[in-house]
Amino acid sequence: MLEKKLTPVQAALLSAALVLMLFPVFWIVMTAIKPPTDWNASPAIWIPSQPTLVNFKTLFDPDAIREYGVGGVSQAATKSVIGSLLASVTATALSVLIGLFSAIGISRYGSESKSTPLIILSGRMFPPAAIAVPFVIIFSNVGLTDSYVGLIAIYVAATLPFSTWMLKSFVDDLPREIEEAAMLDGKSRFAAHLTVTIPLIKGGLFATTMFIFILNWSEFMFALVLSYTNVSTIPVQLAKYVTATAGTLYGVQAALAVLAMAPLVVAGYLIQGHLARGMTFGAIKQ
Amino acid sequence: MSVSAKTASAAPDLSPAAPHGGGKPPRAKGERIGLAMVLPGQIVSILVLVIPLLVALYMSFTDWSPTKGSLFDADFVGFENYSELLVWDTRFLYAVLRTLCISAVCLSLEFVFGLSLAVLFMRRFRGKPLLFSAFLTPMMILPVVVGYIFWMLFQSSGPINQIMVAILGPGAAQEWFRSAPLAVLAVIITEVWHWTPLFFLILLSGLNAVPENPVRAAVILGASPRQVFWRVVMPSLKPVIIVAFVIRAMEIIKLFDEVFMLTRGGPGSATETISLYIYKLAFNDFQLAYGAAAAFLVLLGALGLIHLLLAPVRNQLLEAGR
Repeated sequence: MLEKKLTPVQAALLSAALVLMLFPVFWIVMTAIKPPTDWNASPAIWIPSQPTLVNFKTLFDPDAIREYGVGGVSQAATKSVIGSLLASVTATALSVLIGLFSAIGISRYGSESKSTPLIILSGRMFPPAAIAVPFVIIFSNVGLTDSYVGLIAIYVAATLPFSTWMLKSFVDDLPREIEEAAMLDGKSRFAAHLTVTIPLIKGGLFATTMFIFILNWSEFMFALVLSYTNVSTIPVQLAKYVTATAGTLYGVQAALAVLAMAPLVVAGYLIQGHLARGMTFGAIKQ
Repeated sequence: MSVSAKTASAAPDLSPAAPHGGGKPPRAKGERIGLAMVLPGQIVSILVLVIPLLVALYMSFTDWSPTKGSLFDADFVGFENYSELLVWDTRFLYAVLRTLCISAVCLSLEFVFGLSLAVLFMRRFRGKPLLFSAFLTPMMILPVVVGYIFWMLFQSSGPINQIMVAILGPGAAQEWFRSAPLAVLAVIITEVWHWTPLFFLILLSGLNAVPENPVRAAVILGASPRQVFWRVVMPSLKPVIIVAFVIRAMEIIKLFDEVFMLTRGGPGSATETISLYIYKLAFNDFQLAYGAAAAFLVLLGALGLIHLLLAPVRNQLLEAGR
């Protein structure tokens, strides 16, 4: 399209949009560094005069907040942070590894049936609350309730369509001839894929890994219904804090929220050129 | 953000096997290894996706609840759950209608805002990459946290009321979560803030891929910018627009996390979405079989809806996939 300069009105619109997009992020970060006296002040305090890290400290040591005369933080969030890391990292690694082989298989040998897209779409549209029900039943029969193994298995299955189709779109971009040349040099098909295909889609592999990590780290419902005492993740812990105190621990909750979103925003910026591809199952390649 | 010309419309997930890079795949030898590579993924999908779905399907035809012991001891009741849902359960009906209305409003707003921003981004200005990253920020934040952030913003002593009082005078402060229409509005605002960036992102990559020659030709032939946009740009954007709508529709139909943090479906059931209703059925009331039946009805409806959405561009997408 023909590029023209912005008119002043358009520049104003873009600035307004920028403020709207960033204000909620600004608010949560500011709340996370407010001392308890500022949490729910009326009128609300926008920028704390005495910023503090006590909210973040409280997440790992519930007693830290007591010097401000605030009780009610009964649980540290440490376990949920470890739980989130454990579940997301393991599930992401497995999902990308399995997805990588599926992607090459589908892209190069066309072993994909016409109904596959429909099955994937159905899987994605099924309300998670309902698919959680059979999981609760099956898991309680095989002793996987409230275990990371069960949670990770679900995360792998839930993200596998994304990793497979995103990676497939990267493999599709690669000319077949490159691998065939390696095979002519006497390499087996599998060796050719390992030594030629995979190194050539390194960038795509990284983007997919980050994207799947974002999905796993964000997951809430399955963790909510399949965790009791052993298992916890950050989103579940955040909901617990809000429920336990009717939401009055503003600063501590905000600190946990910031902790939850920070890695995702970093990962998101790193792969922003590939976000559209991931979200659309590789339908849109940017 | 450079985009090659052919990219935007190809939709591999909607097209049958598309041999790529020229020539037929080397079938005879490759078939076995291809199968072996796809196998792990298939096994995981069957174990962790297909089997639970089948269990849920069976369960939806029984009257099972956790107090009845094993699933296979439950009585088979045929389509009773389904007929109950379709004929008598007005709470389910309202949850469905509510979700559809909220979805329609949200998707329309997200589309309009996303398209406007994307069109503005086709202009030339400084700091574009930075602004691009800033505009994508909301969609990178996890839904639970988005719900929590807006829960704080909408508190009666929160900044939104504060701004409204500053602009409209002392009476303007609202109890957002105590009134049904305001609670719905809060959910819509949250959802639109969260996902407008996705429409922006998809539509921008679509705009970048609009072929230049027809646009030039139209301009030379004397078309006004408005005519160029509606007659030349929009038609070639159609497949991208539909992909964006389908992807978002699939997600918003399951709307749960944000509402759970914002209102828990309240006040009353004013913001109770389908997912929230099924969640409450299964995990508050322990009507698991009934909840499963509701889920399958939703799935059928959603599949039909997506089919309708895709119909106008199906052939185009299949062509592009080849």
